Amino acid sequence: MLITQLKAKETIVSLVEGKKIFIINCQGCKEVHFPEEEAKELQKELAADGKVTGSITTDYICNPENMKLRLEKHMSEIKAADMVLVFSCGVGVQTIAEYLDDKMVCAACDSCRLPGFQGVTPIEYDCGQCGECYLNLTGGICPITACSKSLLNGQCGGAKNGKCEVDPNMECGWERIYRRLEKVGRLDALKCPVQVRNYATDDEV
Amino acid sequence: MENYTKYKLKSNDELVSLLADKDNLFIVACNKCFKEFETIDEPECAELEKIVAAEGKKVTGSARVDFLCNKTQTEKKLQDMIPEGTEHVLVISCGLGIQTIADLADKPVYAASNSLNYTGHHGMALTKKSCDACAQCYLNVTGGICPIVDCSKSLVNGQCGGAKNGKCEVDPNKDCAWEKIYKRLEKQGRLSEFLDQPVQLRDYSKVDFKFVNDYVKSIRENRLEGYYGGVHPSERKEFTEHIALQKFPDPETVVIPLSMHAGAPANPVVQVGDTVQVGQVIGESAGFISAPVHSSVSGTVTAIEEHGHATRGRCMSVVIKSDGKNTLHESIKPNKDLDSLTPDEIIEIVRASGIVGMGGAGFPTSVKLKPNKPIDAVLLNGCECEPLLTADHRVLLEFADDVVFGLKAIVKTVDAKKGIIVIEDNKPDAIELLKAKTADCENLEVVVAKTKFPQGAEKMLIKRVMGRQVPRGGLPADVGAVVSNISTTKAISDAIQKGMPLIERIVTVTGEKLKKPGNYIVKIGTNTKDLIDYCGGITGDDVTIKAGGPMMGFVLSDTNVPIMKGSNGIIVVDTDHTVEQPCIKCGRCMDVCPMELSPLYFAKFADEKDWQGMKDKNVMDCIECRCCEYICSSKIPLVTKIKAGKTAVREMK
Repeated sequence: MLITQLKAKETIVSLVEGKKIFIINCQGCKEVHFPEEEAKELQKELAADGKVTGSITTDYICNPENMKLRLEKHMSEIKAADMVLVFSCGVGVQTIAEYLDDKMVCAACDSCRLPGFQGVTPIEYDCGQCGECYLNLTGGICPITACSKSLLNGQCGGAKNGKCEVDPNMECGWERIYRRLEKVGRLDALKCPVQVRNYATDDEV
Repeated sequence: MENYTKYKLKSNDELVSLLADKDNLFIVACNKCFKEFETIDEPECAELEKIVAAEGKKVTGSARVDFLCNKTQTEKKLQDMIPEGTEHVLVISCGLGIQTIADLADKPVYAASNSLNYTGHHGMALTKKSCDACAQCYLNVTGGICPIVDCSKSLVNGQCGGAKNGKCEVDPNKDCAWEKIYKRLEKQGRLSEFLDQPVQLRDYSKVDFKFVNDYVKSIRENRLEGYYGGVHPSERKEFTEHIALQKFPDPETVVIPLSMHAGAPANPVVQVGDTVQVGQVIGESAGFISAPVHSSVSGTVTAIEEHGHATRGRCMSVVIKSDGKNTLHESIKPNKDLDSLTPDEIIEIVRASGIVGMGGAGFPTSVKLKPNKPIDAVLLNGCECEPLLTADHRVLLEFADDVVFGLKAIVKTVDAKKGIIVIEDNKPDAIELLKAKTADCENLEVVVAKTKFPQGAEKMLIKRVMGRQVPRGGLPADVGAVVSNISTTKAISDAIQKGMPLIERIVTVTGEKLKKPGNYIVKIGTNTKDLIDYCGGITGDDVTIKAGGPMMGFVLSDTNVPIMKGSNGIIVVDTDHTVEQPCIKCGRCMDVCPMELSPLYFAKFADEKDWQGMKDKNVMDCIECRCCEYICSSKIPLVTKIKAGKTAVREMK
């Protein structure tokens, strides 16, 4: 579940130049994000050039079993193409590339990280999954994700009027933490020993 | 299957020191996400309670909440959950759940767990880590193998040179990604393409957090717009939305089911051999919740027999051979004008005309017109939120005056303060026309609603337009609303103005597998197969035919069934070849359920035949809109399971 953006039109046009293509749209995460209209527009132009051997719009191509069942009917169109162009997140592109490993499989989108993808669709909180939750010391506001520098031991001092110096649209995470702790009467939490982030716990599970 | 719990309890030492100065604790554990159902007993929860008890601390209570990170639902569940006397709240969940509770609870909140690092596991959740969301996809030059994830060093310009026997020098269990990339490109004859590629630079500033954060905010607002949940399936209305209504040629024979409505089937009042005329009653209403049935042609009754039926399998039906003359029955004559009719007279006209909800449910309209509560507003459902269907849209455009007349009749009958026509923003022509038609009516208005399925469901419509919640098991009248379908409203107008009972309706015949889609005025009892043949037939052999729309329609295994009062569409679409897979607890069904239910439990309980469990999770509230099934990443036929559950729960009583 990722946010996908179309690659620049020039990039895609030069990618498919002189090639016959088969197009796969994955809309499984459409309710999260899929640039549906933009993709449709671009594909119309590609089709007008007579380069498209076929196209399907499906969902969850990251699920290999169902992806295979859905591609089955289109294998002749895929064979006739020089390239399979996939409009999906990076997971989908790789799943297709592995299945059609003798075919050139290309991505038409870039994927961006999506906060909160573990649970339901996007939500306002983010968790960096650092493996050593600091929320107990910070009144439940995450210093890893709410501070643009991921500082663990207080503010950097660069904030102006409560706004982050890195991104003026962002509130200073440590000011928010201070206010929250003040509100719940737990400013004493700031007196805890210095925290050192242990990147070694950042292992994959 | 592996346990995909994404967090683990903090170490005993850390928890003990955390507890040192705290007492009167409330424990909240997230019950979902990638957890397997087997772990419903919450080993971590029990473990934490044990540690707390060992420290001699008091636990004021504990709760397990599904998807703590779903703020809308968690906020509701949290009300009154934390008992008096609680001083501190401990949360067992990933960082998202803890932050949600910290934001919602007015007590200090602590994490009792650490999140495990799953960064990069997206999509199906159970796939291996394969995308790092770098925002500058390199897969096009690497044969579809990701150098960021698969190479331990995330090199983007080729191997480091440290691999031995094809294995990575950092992790000897791992294949060298660049060797994999080389082999894949070699196999595809694309080596020179890669080697001629200029050096790639990774641009870490590419990830545009502002875009992502703004996007996330907007998507949340969109999801909660008007009412919780809902989905946006591809509309595909362009096949028919601009095609004017055509009269479908008169059928030679009609098969009119005696049950085209909710409640008791009508009793036949004609016999084989009888001559009947257009509009003549052939079946009498058989109870309070029932409706009469009329002949749609003039001709001879040739049989009264069981016949195929789109939603009930088989149903007693009256078969009439048309004489092609369409002679009107003597009872068909215009009524008095609307001003001189009393509400009771209107209700009797509607009842006698066999008018039922034409959106599909078929609830007798005359019953709806007798609410036992004061009515603030009559809502006309012009959303037509089902993809593909355009029947109501065409009725709005071509019978706008009749629709307005029908609405006035309903407003008068139920003594409502106003009448509101709700139209989704994908029908600007209908919005403009109806606004013009109602401009001089003080008590009528047009409300434009942002497109979202299932907006047309009456509970969602009321929530969106009036901001009122129909109570569980309640009716629209309980919150001062009466909801009517567009075609039904036109039928009311025909019944009053022409005296014509419900004998024909507008049907959209469409789908990517139909040769000539269109919108037709079709006589009730016309054979569905004739309708499809008239539209040029189907293309290909691997198609699914449904009565109704793609979301809530019924699959027709046999097209030898008649068009009925509720048949708003016949669609011919591609068959979806997928296979049900185990639930991965991604929570999307819960995120889209407009009734705020937890459909994932219905899948589990139906398989276990745990009907009590179904009932406890409020299966009876499900409106079968199919949003959960549409969004399900495991392709579980949730609605089928829900229907089985509802049947079983009804039998329990």
